[in-house]
Amino acid sequence: MQTKIIKPAIVTILTLVFSTTYFAETTIHKNEQTGLLTWSAEQDGFKIELIQLIPDFVSAVYSKHKFPQKELDRINTYCLFGTIVESKSDKNLYYQVSDWHYTDMKGVSLPVKNKKQWITEWRAQGIKFNWTLLPATSEFAPGDWQQGFTTIKISRDKIFDFTYSWSIEGKTYTNTIKDMSCAPETLELDGKK
Amino acid sequence: MKYLRNYIKTTLIVLTVISTTAVYVAERSAPKLGYRLSPIAKPFKATDFSLYDMDEDEINFTDFKGKVVLLNFWASWCPPCRREMPSMEHLHQNFKGQNFAVIAINQMEEEDDIFAYTGELEVEPTFTILFDKDSSVSDQYPVVGLPTTFLIDKKGVVRYRAVGGREFDHPEVMKLIQKLIDE
Repeated sequence: MQTKIIKPAIVTILTLVFSTTYFAETTIHKNEQTGLLTWSAEQDGFKIELIQLIPDFVSAVYSKHKFPQKELDRINTYCLFGTIVESKSDKNLYYQVSDWHYTDMKGVSLPVKNKKQWITEWRAQGIKFNWTLLPATSEFAPGDWQQGFTTIKISRDKIFDFTYSWSIEGKTYTNTIKDMSCAPETLELDGKK
Repeated sequence: MKYLRNYIKTTLIVLTVISTTAVYVAERSAPKLGYRLSPIAKPFKATDFSLYDMDEDEINFTDFKGKVVLLNFWASWCPPCRREMPSMEHLHQNFKGQNFAVIAINQMEEEDDIFAYTGELEVEPTFTILFDKDSSVSDQYPVVGLPTTFLIDKKGVVRYRAVGGREFDHPEVMKLIQKLIDE
């Protein structure tokens, strides 16, 4: 009887002690001028900020680098987020975008498309530009940080959860930012679309 | 006439949207710049390169032999790159006449654009700016994002690295550079 109770209790306690998957506190900031949202979360030595980007802004960025219109339109079938990742750890830290995923409200999970995958597609079209996207993998020393775009393939009106992970000294940490949404198609300026 | 008015109106709206978003992104993209440069666990020999500067003169990395070099990879559209640039100029001025050089390697932009960009800066850079039009030099170094900066010693060995913007004129960075110059 005792074993029956103690065993699951130990397992539960150990799970709680060693599990590094939990929801870190997420801060949501709304820009008064544009209405655009920014999600930020900091946990176990890693800080992430995801900023909604409207399609016009994304097109402006890539058209400056001479991307063809067809590709600009294709990029904008994804939701792009300006992403800042920052090491808050005193140890070296590692992340890999291919380990990140997003989950829609039906529970369907998909991996985040990484920079490497985009570059392969761009090269096939003869596009040589290879910056602006968040690096597919990075190793941060203390004090390092980086920014770039993260791309999520989801309808603009859908809500999703975003799960990301990072490693410090071989230990992997995971966090989920819940109820994220894409930027609107256009900004509401002065109350008008 | 009506068409022209609509065109101007639409253009103005689009420009407002883009500039408002750009300002917003830049605002949000502003973690405080630190000054920490991390020692590289396995220092490696800096790769030689040959690139053109703003005056279309060919510059070889070997021209800087015997100097401590702060090698920075950047682009004008990258907000932290813009933020750290004045501190690089201060560094350049501070170590003038010593065995030290700042080299900023621009990624995939045109000379004319950078000429216009540097002209707008409050502190105009006087250090060496080179153009890596196809990112072939950044590919040879372990650069995965911009800005990334390396500190190379007088023997041409890459000793320190910083990923993300920094205040390079911080006393601790100055001390580190002086130490490498004195080695």
